[in-house]
Amino acid sequence: MVESPIQGNGQPPPEMAPQVTEEAEVQGRLGLARDAEQARRALLNRPRFSVRLQIFLGNALAFLIAIAIAIALVASFQRMESKIRFLEIVNDYVMEVEQARRFEKNFFLYGTNLSDAQDNVFKAENILSRNAEELADIMGTGWREQMLPNLHRYQQLLEKLGQQPQSEQALSKNERLRVQSQVRAQGQQMVSAALGLLSKEKTALTEVLTRSRQLLFYSVGLLLLCMGLNAYLLGSRMLSSIGRFGQYANRIASGDFTPLTPTRRYRDEFTELALAINSMIEELEKREAVLVQSHKMRAVGTLTAGVAHELNNPMNNITLTAHMLQEDYADLDDEERLEMIGDVVGEASRAKKIISNLLDFARESGSQLEPLDLPELLRETIALASNQIKLSGIKIDFQTSGNLPRVHGDSQQLRQVFLNLILNAIDASSKGGHIHVLVLPADEPNYLAVKVMDSGSGIPAHILPSIFDPFFTTKGKGKGTGLGLSVSQGIVAKHSGRIMVSSQEGQGATFTVVLPVTTIPAELGAQQ
Amino acid sequence: MSGNLQVLLLDDEPIVGRRLKPALAKIGCEVDVFEDPELALAKMAQKEYDVVVTDIRMDQIDGMQVLEFVRERWPRSKVIMITGYAMMSLAREAMEKGAFDFIAKPFKPDDLRRVIAKAAHALGSDIDFDVVEVEKANG
Amino acid sequence: MPLIIVSADDFKQGDEISQKVAGTLGYRYLGRDLLHYVATENQVSEEELARALDEAPGLLTRRARRQRLLGLIEAACLNVLLDDSVVCFGLAAHMYVRAVSHALKVRIINEPEQRAEALAEAEGLSVDKARKQVMRQTKDERRWSEETYNLDQTDASLYDMVISLGTLELDKAVEIISDTVGYRKFQPMTYSRKLMQDKALAAAVRRELMGQFPEIRVEANDGTVVVFIQSLKKDQRKKQELVRQIAGGLPGVRHVEVHIIRDLVGQAAQSSR
Repeated sequence: MVESPIQGNGQPPPEMAPQVTEEAEVQGRLGLARDAEQARRALLNRPRFSVRLQIFLGNALAFLIAIAIAIALVASFQRMESKIRFLEIVNDYVMEVEQARRFEKNFFLYGTNLSDAQDNVFKAENILSRNAEELADIMGTGWREQMLPNLHRYQQLLEKLGQQPQSEQALSKNERLRVQSQVRAQGQQMVSAALGLLSKEKTALTEVLTRSRQLLFYSVGLLLLCMGLNAYLLGSRMLSSIGRFGQYANRIASGDFTPLTPTRRYRDEFTELALAINSMIEELEKREAVLVQSHKMRAVGTLTAGVAHELNNPMNNITLTAHMLQEDYADLDDEERLEMIGDVVGEASRAKKIISNLLDFARESGSQLEPLDLPELLRETIALASNQIKLSGIKIDFQTSGNLPRVHGDSQQLRQVFLNLILNAIDASSKGGHIHVLVLPADEPNYLAVKVMDSGSGIPAHILPSIFDPFFTTKGKGKGTGLGLSVSQGIVAKHSGRIMVSSQEGQGATFTVVLPVTTIPAELGAQQ
Repeated sequence: MSGNLQVLLLDDEPIVGRRLKPALAKIGCEVDVFEDPELALAKMAQKEYDVVVTDIRMDQIDGMQVLEFVRERWPRSKVIMITGYAMMSLAREAMEKGAFDFIAKPFKPDDLRRVIAKAAHALGSDIDFDVVEVEKANG
Repeated sequence: MPLIIVSADDFKQGDEISQKVAGTLGYRYLGRDLLHYVATENQVSEEELARALDEAPGLLTRRARRQRLLGLIEAACLNVLLDDSVVCFGLAAHMYVRAVSHALKVRIINEPEQRAEALAEAEGLSVDKARKQVMRQTKDERRWSEETYNLDQTDASLYDMVISLGTLELDKAVEIISDTVGYRKFQPMTYSRKLMQDKALAAAVRRELMGQFPEIRVEANDGTVVVFIQSLKKDQRKKQELVRQIAGGLPGVRHVEVHIIRDLVGQAAQSSR
């Protein structure tokens, strides 16, 4: 059965709650919007170098290299082709000349076939003149001086021999022999010149072949290298970005809602992702702000019951005093009357104080970071919950080690965290139980720890891992939202702190909030 | 008991005692006021009061413990609980433990006088308190 | 001596038990007979009053009218409950007498199966049909309480005791209730009597104002009455004055406070005109 306090007058006017929420939201929103806008500008204010462009450039480069290879190959094939053609020509030429020399030999031995030899020489000359262009290409324009004079001379000598027996200008025997040896020498020279040319060109062809093989080899290597490099650059770019976004996701999940800012000098598709994530963060933060605020109002609601009851004491003192003053007015002397009126005034201001703590907590909502005196903050929080503590018949004691450094944080939000822990401890404790609150340096340097220990029944080990999960609650339907610890964890994470729990069944639970101490001396000085 | 009704008033709010002592004296009660429950219990260990008026929420000792102590030690005494933390469960607990009555703060002096008159009546020693008359006087 | 407030899923059984408990203890029985008095006092029909108590609001129900009828019943009932030693049944008192320590609240339930069988026999229905009808009745009962008082009257946590007639006989239930009410826990005291007086006064003030202010909430504490009404800003003063005038004249009212809850819907309608 839901029990209500004897009167509902202690509750704040109903229209106050939404007003406070709205205000907080507006302020929160402005701050958020500004940060997000800055981040957006910074993200967009970079030269664009998209992944698409990188892929395109990589492919284009590979394509260009491939084209260059193809062109080079075609060129070297052409060169080889012309060399081979030249070799064929020279070969034909050599064959004709050798044929001519064979007939020449026959002529010397048997006196036959001279015309055949002349025929062959003519053919050889034909070959040369037919392929004049190719020869010029390879040997330069000087080829005629190199080849033709020899051939012509050989031809003349052969003619000389051929005329000889019948003609008037016939040669003497000695002359004949001289011409014969001249022909032989000339023929030999011609053949050896042609063969020399042939072997020279063969060497050149081999060289061209080797070079083109090397060209092919190197250029394919270059292509592979280029493609590999591109793949590596692209891959590492994508992987590092994905890794970065993974970290962002973890960071956001842990409650850090600062917008993403540029980490590279250019923007790309991942920039759009970053923008999308930033707007998601903005939305998340807005929702969290609403969640935090609504959770705070729930805490206020819980405290209201205690305040309503606590108010009854000063109200009772005022009622009794006023009635007695009225009843005995005539019989009292001035001093007594003044004393009674003084009591009324004193109790009225006590009543005001009882409400004002709670009202302050409900009202103030501007989020601002400042160096905080943690023990003082906890004292205030305990004062805020004091009526609840009294209502539940629980004792609370507070200890702090002296001279602690300050922590940097939002007093409103941290107060909400500690209030939540204390209210939970109250819920967990039975009447007559004890709650200990400690503020002390944490085990790790530059951190302070706040411990809230209750003497309740403890948290069973099997649910211990889930108590920070949203919507996890052990309280009955309508009593807890299951968001308290989850919201608290979010707030603490935002302060770069941690919240931990340890509990043994039957021995109560200890919640520890660890917060970093402020490291900005300038601000510390300003605060003092 | 002869003469005046013996009343013990225990409340850690000093103003309550300051105002109620003369208020109850006017209807013929002899009131001992305590702010510290321990001292009140020590006194009650020796003296039987006709009526014990106690607050419930106090720092060291709970009013329920006072009620239990009185019911145990002086079964005839009437215990009246006064509290700012009135709730149905607390009220039922007090009644079950044998409280004579249960009053929520804030209350008027006459509210308590009326209950004390009732208690006196139950004890068979009516006191001089006419509810109607006092209420008329107060308008 | 205490009050006993009975609620049952079967009207006839609840009525019978309540009357028997009243007879056993020598308490006064407060039941539907009250409607006759409310009807003559306020010039409304008794049937209409009974319908407001029995039927969940439908599409055609005039809710303000229904709310007003229930307000009349509530005020009359609470007025009777100011006296001790009353057994109250059939007036929805379990919905508006809450947190009063000397009111023992009892819920009488039946096994749905048994109810269906009884219904089938009484009305000559098939068991299947009767079962469906029982399910619909339960749903209606829940809807009635949720629409009217924002509470589920079938929720056991609203009661001090739930007795199942599927397990215990009717006479045994009477005996149990009569025994339980003897616990000191349920004895009236200054605090709980005052709560009843506050409730009765609030209901009386509400009854007088409901005609003009259908959406009204009233709280009372020792003669101080706090009234919450809806109003547009421009009518605020006039309405506050009217409330003070009406409520201030009622017996038992010493001080009236009027709180305005902004009528957001009305305001929006007006500003868009």
